[in-house]
Amino acid sequence: MYVWPGVIAIWSSLFAGLAAAVTYLLVDRGRKELLALARTLYTAFMVSVVASAAILMTLLLQHRFDVSYVNSYSALDLPLHYLISTFWAGQEGSFLLWCFWGSIIGLFVWRTAKEQEAPVMVVYLSTFLGIIAILCKQSPFKLLPPPAPVDGTGLNPLLQDPWMVIHPPVMFLGFASLSVPFSFAIAALWKKRWDGWITRALPWALLTFLTLGTAILMGGYWAYKTLGWGGYWGWDPVENTSLVPWLFTTALVHGMFLQRARKRHRKVNLLLACTAYAAILYGTFLTRSGVLADFSVHSFIDLGITGWLVGILGTFIGLSAVLIAWRWRSIPRTEDEEPALLSRSVFFILGIAVFCALATVILLGTSAPILTRLGGTPSQVQTTFYGKTTTPAGFLLVLLAGLVPFVGWKGETGSALFKSSRRSLVVAAVLTLAAFGLGANKPETLVLLFAAFFAADMNLRAVIRKAGNGKLGGAGGYLAHVGVGIMLAGIVVSGAYAVSQRVTLPLNVPKKLGDTTLTFLRVVPGSADRKQAMEIRVETPKEKSFYAYPKMYENTRTGQLMVNPSIRNSATMDLYIAPQQYDPGQPQVVGRDVSLKKGTTTSIDGTGFTLKDLNADRAAMMSGGNTILVLADLIITPPDGTSHDATIKYVFNLTTQEADAPEIALPGYPNAKARILAVSPNDGAAIVRLTGVSKNPNEEFQAATVESLSVDVTHKPLIALVWGGFYVMMAGGLLAFLKRAGEARRAVLEGSAREEARSESPVAPTGPVMPAHTRSPLG
Amino acid sequence: MKKGYWFAAVLTLAFVGFGLTAFQKTLTPYLSFEEARKARGVVQVMGALDKESDRYDNKSEELSFDLLDPNGHRMQVVYRGVRPGNFKDAISIVAIGRFSQGRIEAEKLLVKCPSKYQGAEVEKAYASSPAPGKAS
Repeated sequence: MYVWPGVIAIWSSLFAGLAAAVTYLLVDRGRKELLALARTLYTAFMVSVVASAAILMTLLLQHRFDVSYVNSYSALDLPLHYLISTFWAGQEGSFLLWCFWGSIIGLFVWRTAKEQEAPVMVVYLSTFLGIIAILCKQSPFKLLPPPAPVDGTGLNPLLQDPWMVIHPPVMFLGFASLSVPFSFAIAALWKKRWDGWITRALPWALLTFLTLGTAILMGGYWAYKTLGWGGYWGWDPVENTSLVPWLFTTALVHGMFLQRARKRHRKVNLLLACTAYAAILYGTFLTRSGVLADFSVHSFIDLGITGWLVGILGTFIGLSAVLIAWRWRSIPRTEDEEPALLSRSVFFILGIAVFCALATVILLGTSAPILTRLGGTPSQVQTTFYGKTTTPAGFLLVLLAGLVPFVGWKGETGSALFKSSRRSLVVAAVLTLAAFGLGANKPETLVLLFAAFFAADMNLRAVIRKAGNGKLGGAGGYLAHVGVGIMLAGIVVSGAYAVSQRVTLPLNVPKKLGDTTLTFLRVVPGSADRKQAMEIRVETPKEKSFYAYPKMYENTRTGQLMVNPSIRNSATMDLYIAPQQYDPGQPQVVGRDVSLKKGTTTSIDGTGFTLKDLNADRAAMMSGGNTILVLADLIITPPDGTSHDATIKYVFNLTTQEADAPEIALPGYPNAKARILAVSPNDGAAIVRLTGVSKNPNEEFQAATVESLSVDVTHKPLIALVWGGFYVMMAGGLLAFLKRAGEARRAVLEGSAREEARSESPVAPTGPVMPAHTRSPLG
Repeated sequence: MKKGYWFAAVLTLAFVGFGLTAFQKTLTPYLSFEEARKARGVVQVMGALDKESDRYDNKSEELSFDLLDPNGHRMQVVYRGVRPGNFKDAISIVAIGRFSQGRIEAEKLLVKCPSKYQGAEVEKAYASSPAPGKAS
């Protein structure tokens, strides 16, 4: 049972894609006349993929709940933007989104690949055909057996957030565009054209750097703002599997700049392009195969595609490894003078090495459940593992980023380097001292802060110098490094000096936490466009007082308790209030509440209480219409061997939603009484409050509890720097992307022959700010 | 350039070596209740919640409950923190912490609930107070 237009579109994309790949292969074998046909077939592939996506979107917008996918993720009450986002709420839809971007990017790839078009397009198509094949097998167009449901299950309430609407499209754009450098690298190995691919693939690697980076940050911001556990990064497998490809992509971007400038290190980039792509496939495998089900906050359901994913992963890793090994000796090496140790070339190599090592270690931690399963007991690493390992790597990276602006490709003397960095050293020292004065006293923090300030200032000077020369467009890398420095400072301070406390706030009683006073005032009831929230008055020494409204509400569809923190932003400090538990309180009660189940006996001081029967009176329901009458038959067996019957009544009014449950005297006791508090006729269970049945009256005394709210209150200093630094980093990436995209376009327009020639020339397009050819005495 | 590569190789190896040691140190094995009783360090155990055993002490803000494994073995877990919202509906609970004084002192709970949402969060993690999951 399928929606046929969708199935036809998805299968035709598989066949058109296969046909295009085969035709391109024939073109490569010398049948040049088939090129036009290959392009037509590619266009057919693209149109089919886009049509599949359009059909799925139409089904979602039309609320076709007879379609399994629509029924699983959508519902009538979703507003338009969440309705659109249900497209990528499930696995099938997100795979389709990935292919959607891929098919569109392909139109640009064939235009830029030029003489490499045939081999590049063969590889490029094959990176998507495996996923399309999965979609043919695990179709999003499956129908449910009739009758069609009137409403769907709905979108997970956690995903009903504006950030989660745009996060997946941005992320899958990054995934798809990474296929481009991979295809160019494989084609380079295949056709032995070692240099031309860099210029053309660089903008796509930068696009992945930008989009994947943005998607990761959006996910972190969502976690911070919505989930209420106080942080933006939890080292969860889902987060790690997008961070690792991003780190490899960042290494690749640096490697490509290095190869462009130096005409060396060809092997490095071929390896990196393959590794970055493999990391995306491996992450997809980890998060979609169910292997991590017991280890993650997220749960992954095995859709029966694990075998496919392993197959795709194995094919591409195997293909890359075999090709690289086969061509290893024929990859040309440039033999000329070695650069000094204190040179931009060496710093780039070191930076790339640290990026790769860091990504490998994170991958190792994420894969721990799989790796340890091989040796016996499946185990998981604690999140401290990531803190321990990323700290030294972060320090090294930011130090290298700080040293790189004023060093030439070939080398620098130690004294020249010291001279050019003197000013920034002073600035960093002053800022670090200031941080120390403000209370940052952990040595580790101070060292990291110094490196971060140093990197930010060195690169800021480089940006200013470039801008002064009218070449701001070429300052993208430096600007990105300024952002890295700022971001690291924010990460370090907000992580090390966050102060978190849990406090229970009784209604209307001010509680003092450090210099902040919190008072829980009331529950603000929810309405159609507003969730139920808690009103808390917050008094701080700086601001007189303000009201915080952390949300706490029940999702009406699932009954799940949803919690959103309240965040008070300021430039230097975020005050983060995450509700934990609300207790409505209860007055003092005399009685003993027992839960009775049909057929079972509860014993109190030797007397047995048995719920013989629990009946909803159908006749009363039929006649009155708006009340339900429940009758509970009790058998009471005191220790003297006698047995007494009693019937308790419970009337529930459907209109007023109120219960009327009279208290009745229990036979067999002088002063005993019983009253029903709640019933669950389907489970045959009732909660009954008994009074006067215990020998010790104190056992029937339930003390009053006051209405109260437990909250986690966290002061997070300088977290604004994390977001701010990130924006600066991405602005730098964007500058670099624009410049390199322009270059790639020109390279295509000028013609590939000249491009190859240009790439052989020793002119470095990304020359140093201060060219220095003095060899270091260390070199 | 060879020098640069050598330097990079040494740096990478040193770092990965360091990573491996940290890996071994922070590894928390998934253990049966029997194994957990003998284990030192942080472990994780999984079991079904015994709904009768769940107690919450308002003063100390300490939650205590028993987990049952498929063989009916019992393990007491204490957790300093409020009761997770979906606690009572849990199919299974993963407790991560140390075994001490005959019970697991949990630092973190993963509560797995039945969910209609395929592939999305049906689990939620809860960290013991006062430090909620800190980003590093």
